[in-house]
Amino acid sequence: MGEYVWFHDVSWHATYAIYFFVIGILAGLSFLSYGSWRTPALRPLREKAAYGSFGLLIIGGLLLIADLSQPMRFLNILNPAYLHFTSPLAWGAVNIVAFGISSVLYILALQKGDEAKGKLLALVTALLALGLPVYTGYDLTVHQSRPLWNTPIMPVLFVALAIASGSAVGSLIAGANAEAQKVLREYMLWSAGAVAVILVSIMGTTNYGGAASELTFMIMTTGTMGLLFIGVGFLAGSVAPAVMLYAPIGKSQGVLMISALLILIGSAALRYVILMGPQQLQTLY
Amino acid sequence: MSEELRVSPIETRGLAGKRRFAMVVDTRRCIGCMACQVACKAEYDTPLGVNRTWVPYKVAGKYPNVKKHFLPRLCNHCDDPPCVRNCPVEATFKVEDGGFVLQRYERCIGCRSCMAACPYNARFMLPSHRTYTPITNVVDKCTFCFHRVTQNLVPACVQTCIGRARVFGDINDPNSEVSYLVANNPTQVLRPEEGTKPHVFYIGADRNHTEFGRDAYRKIEVMELERAAFKNHFKI
Ligand code: SF4
Ligand code: SF4
Repeated sequence: MGEYVWFHDVSWHATYAIYFFVIGILAGLSFLSYGSWRTPALRPLREKAAYGSFGLLIIGGLLLIADLSQPMRFLNILNPAYLHFTSPLAWGAVNIVAFGISSVLYILALQKGDEAKGKLLALVTALLALGLPVYTGYDLTVHQSRPLWNTPIMPVLFVALAIASGSAVGSLIAGANAEAQKVLREYMLWSAGAVAVILVSIMGTTNYGGAASELTFMIMTTGTMGLLFIGVGFLAGSVAPAVMLYAPIGKSQGVLMISALLILIGSAALRYVILMGPQQLQTLY
Repeated sequence: MSEELRVSPIETRGLAGKRRFAMVVDTRRCIGCMACQVACKAEYDTPLGVNRTWVPYKVAGKYPNVKKHFLPRLCNHCDDPPCVRNCPVEATFKVEDGGFVLQRYERCIGCRSCMAACPYNARFMLPSHRTYTPITNVVDKCTFCFHRVTQNLVPACVQTCIGRARVFGDINDPNSEVSYLVANNPTQVLRPEEGTKPHVFYIGADRNHTEFGRDAYRKIEVMELERAAFKNHFKI
């Protein structure tokens, strides 16, 4: 249908990509906060990560609401009489609300210094946080007619991106704490590596798909999109940090910081291209 | 249609005692006058830049042997519609008697999930300003003229079609014209591989013209320029 040219607008604009980015970091930070109960080296990050993820939840929630063309009707999505559970968005809404409640309870437990409750709530919050990248990936995956999105690996990619970007923010927060940085280096290294491998696999399957998939591949790998996807997202934001962190120099504070920044920039670019690239095709028929 | 062919509880084609409306577009008869598009715009006060139905075309062949192929487009009122599955608040729903896929405007939150889910680009966001109608900032699409059909009228586009290229009726009724046309002609639906079971049937639409061609590759830049100019013009 590519040649019956008509002009359609994309469904989701860049706000949604920023939302993906924010929600990824907040999920990653929640994992770290829970991780601090199991890995003593991460102890200095516990409160900071919990507060940070709650702050990002507010920003993410506001972005999501602002992106609706009827923002005040976000209440409809909280109305049990309306909720339609064949839609990933409905699951997402329940997940976000549950995460918000659990985060508040967790922060209260931290403030009270209640160790037993805190550990349990950290686990619940982290599990609910895991649901956030999973549902955002699933939100794309279900679109049967959209090349690239309609791959089961999308939620896995979003979880890997969440771990990478959350650890990167954690590493920036941890500063000179060598013990914490040692653990975070491992997290960043393996998650950035996983993102790179997943990207190779989805690029391969997209390029070898039908004509629509191939056209999506072309859109995502040429011009500005190509620069963002291959240059910033894949090479600079996934491969380069993975290689740098793997090399012996990866233990130095400077390299850790550069890697963390690259991962953050790269994961933002990837979210943008993964959201917009397949939709560019959608506007052509 | 035999009972066994129905596979999902939402599907209504072949359901005894239920109507299932469908449209047949005979592309051999379409002259590309766009009267359907204008009639639809008039019926619904559809703003500039968006359409419930539209008539894209493609020029095939080499001069002097050229031909314009028209492919009128609209919501396919799919029997298994992904837009209905994707709507988080059931603002998009399917009417069992008739198979219309409709929209509850007052409930729609404007998340545009249905737009992303529709394989046919049949949905659009209504801009904030319309000439006569207060419904704005929600997703809209073709309704198969539900309000007319329930009064025993045909949709506005069908009523106005000069070439009688558009035929509308109950495909569950073996005596209807659409049943006759679908039974006696080779018909195509758009993107059948999506499994949406569209209820807009085309006669004479060449598959080569309804799918992405590899030659579309070299046109991305041109299309991007044109799209940018278009968006700029309509400030969308
Ligand atoms: S054509 Fe699109 S909008 Fe219409 S019913 Fe099918 S999926 Fe829904
Ligand atoms: S934009 Fe409206 S109709 Fe479409 S999925 Fe969202 S709430 Fe449903």
